Amino acid sequence: MEKAALSSPPPPTLMTPPLRSFRQKIAFRLGMGVWRADQQFEGYLFLLPSLIGFLLFVLAPILISLALSFHEWDLLTPPEYVGAANYTELFTNDPVFGAVLKNTFWYTLLIVPLQLVLGFVLAVALNTGLRALRWYRMLYFMPVIASIVAAAMVFRFLFNQQSGIIAAGVWQTKELLLGLPFVQASPQLLDSVQGLAPPDFLNAPGQGFLPGWAIISVTLFTVWKNVGFTMVVYMAALQAVPDPLYDAAKVDGASGWQRLRYVTIPLVSPTTFFLLVVQMLGAFQLFAEPFVMVASSQNSVALASESLVMYIYRNAFGFLRMGKAAAISWILFAIVFVVTIVQTLLQRRWVHYQVD
Amino acid sequence: MQKKFFLLCMVLVALMAFGTAAVAQDDVTLLWGMWGDPAEIATHQLVADAYMAANPNVTIELWSQPWGEYFTKIDTLFVAGDATVIPDVFFMTPIQDRAAAGVLQDLTALIEESGLDLEDYWPGALESTSYEGVVYGFPRDIGIEVLYYNKDHFDAASLDYPTDEWTWVELRAAAEALTVKEASGRISRYGFAMEGGKYFDFVGANGGLILDDMFNPTQCTLSQPEAVEAFEFFAGMMNDEIAWRSANLGQAGGDLSVFLGEQASMFIQNASRVPALNAAGVNYDVAAVPTAPGGTRQAGIANGAAWVMSSVTDTPDAAWDFMQFLQSPEGGQAIYFATGEAFPPTRSGAESPVFMNPERGPENKQAWIVGAESANINGFGWFPEYNELNGTLINPVLDTIWAGEAQAADVLPGVCESVDAYLVEHGYGA
Repeated sequence: MEKAALSSPPPPTLMTPPLRSFRQKIAFRLGMGVWRADQQFEGYLFLLPSLIGFLLFVLAPILISLALSFHEWDLLTPPEYVGAANYTELFTNDPVFGAVLKNTFWYTLLIVPLQLVLGFVLAVALNTGLRALRWYRMLYFMPVIASIVAAAMVFRFLFNQQSGIIAAGVWQTKELLLGLPFVQASPQLLDSVQGLAPPDFLNAPGQGFLPGWAIISVTLFTVWKNVGFTMVVYMAALQAVPDPLYDAAKVDGASGWQRLRYVTIPLVSPTTFFLLVVQMLGAFQLFAEPFVMVASSQNSVALASESLVMYIYRNAFGFLRMGKAAAISWILFAIVFVVTIVQTLLQRRWVHYQVD
Repeated sequence: MQKKFFLLCMVLVALMAFGTAAVAQDDVTLLWGMWGDPAEIATHQLVADAYMAANPNVTIELWSQPWGEYFTKIDTLFVAGDATVIPDVFFMTPIQDRAAAGVLQDLTALIEESGLDLEDYWPGALESTSYEGVVYGFPRDIGIEVLYYNKDHFDAASLDYPTDEWTWVELRAAAEALTVKEASGRISRYGFAMEGGKYFDFVGANGGLILDDMFNPTQCTLSQPEAVEAFEFFAGMMNDEIAWRSANLGQAGGDLSVFLGEQASMFIQNASRVPALNAAGVNYDVAAVPTAPGGTRQAGIANGAAWVMSSVTDTPDAAWDFMQFLQSPEGGQAIYFATGEAFPPTRSGAESPVFMNPERGPENKQAWIVGAESANINGFGWFPEYNELNGTLINPVLDTIWAGEAQAADVLPGVCESVDAYLVEHGYGA
């Protein structure tokens, strides 16, 4: 029958409960407890366990961390109130915070579009009714469920400048090129081939504000790890696009690309919005991927690849500065909050929700 | 009848009271905390079993955590304050912050009572476990380093084996001769491998220091000529492609892995690599860490994780007795040093037949004693802010030196500027 666009309660005029007491009438008029206004108390009682859990284990720690960010605490001695010193230190006196922000910014900027686009492409490709669909889907989804630490360690060995397979590939290509006659004939070419060497994939920082190899390696690993998830979500969304629309487009003379651009993409835009927000949150909070891949010691900042959450971890458990770590996490919250608000405001422009 | 019965009851009650009192006095349970992987925990359990066999009234319960979580968990236990779950004797390093916070027991009185000979410990060993002149713990072992080398590689290159009298000159020459470079330019075997973090082996040997005083620093001394020379030597070997670059080494699995994979011919490390090398049957030996051309040697830092006592323990005497057992060559040391994976903190322990066991490799164990004679603890900062200072101001810049992106002489003055500013901010500056 009619598909309900949003789950709102049915209009009150159709189904009014019998209102016996004055209290019930007031509750009804105020829009509270449309159904059983006399069982509100029981309702709250049922909610209480979940509510207590939320208050104790989510809300209270969040508020405590806010308070903590205005203190200096090393776990061993009582916290000491320092006002906004942690925040000012981060923005004026921290030699490393700039690099950390740069790395996190690049991680988000590179990982999110790559994951979205690749996931979408894969989903469209797998949506064409391939015979071995299930196998491909499984292959692309397996990295998602693989242990992140194990996978990161494997990629660490892959990318090692000295003993990694990719570096070995560069050396072998170089040998191959050196063996070619036309390379040996030209002294310029020979020179430039001689100078070939694998870059430091895991540790090279970029020049100035540009991303370096370290950021690119972590990006490649993270995209490989998570593209399967994006693909699977898009596959579900593609299934929900009604076929008649494609038929209508074909009748109008639209080519494959045009169908993709004018039918498919707008109709999966709610999914795109969801994935965009969720993956941005994940990219801002990247920790395990760079931490395990680069494997720097607990107490030493790896400038080329340190992300915000890594820096929080180092300050909290490496340097025993809980207050500063809390301050960094609230700065992260502020950044993510602003970005999400901006995205929610922008969504009206490009997200097409289906309304029947 | 009733009177007799009553008397009997009184006697029984009296006996019970005495009995339980006697039992309650002698039966002690000690909680013993440490970190380690399952193999290391098994060794600790052997030590506990040995002590319990010799002292039937004492029960030792092990409390172990993986290294990454150990320190946070101990700290939270102390914050919670419940003495029944806080370990009585436990592993700790470094001890200064926790001694300052008052969670460790001052051992002076117990040392005097038992007449322990503190001179038996290698120089510097007890300095690292003291705070403001008071001893708080005893290192179980100390991290004296030696130069490991692959004898097969030396034989194949017709080179003389390293000796305990080697200097940097011979080290570099051997590294050059042992490095194997392919036609494409790829290095398939480096002559030398050492973690960048051990740079103080070179700086200290050359008479340099990181900070002018590692307990109460007033200024950074890394930009002094002795230190810069040492950096240029070590980084020079990496830039000339005869030594592994530090980051690559760590990410390839560390010195042991590359040595076993025959991608390095020599490396400098403490005794922890011995069991794996023995088990793999590698034809190797060790020599003392090479001295600087001027003649001084810095074979690592003479500190190690220490056994400390909690300040809230309710059985200090039993805990002290156990600590002494742990440190005695016939007691704990006989078990800990049986595999050769650690170097004893005492002269008596190092010269004992347990460590010097001729049937267990390597042959030249004397190399450790040579290194320990000039031991000191100058390679580490013994004040609370050192981790942050090192991790944000010093190491990130040193990483660029090891990666060949910067020259030591160019960047070290900048490091010292920022370190001096940090010291002033935190109340240490001159």
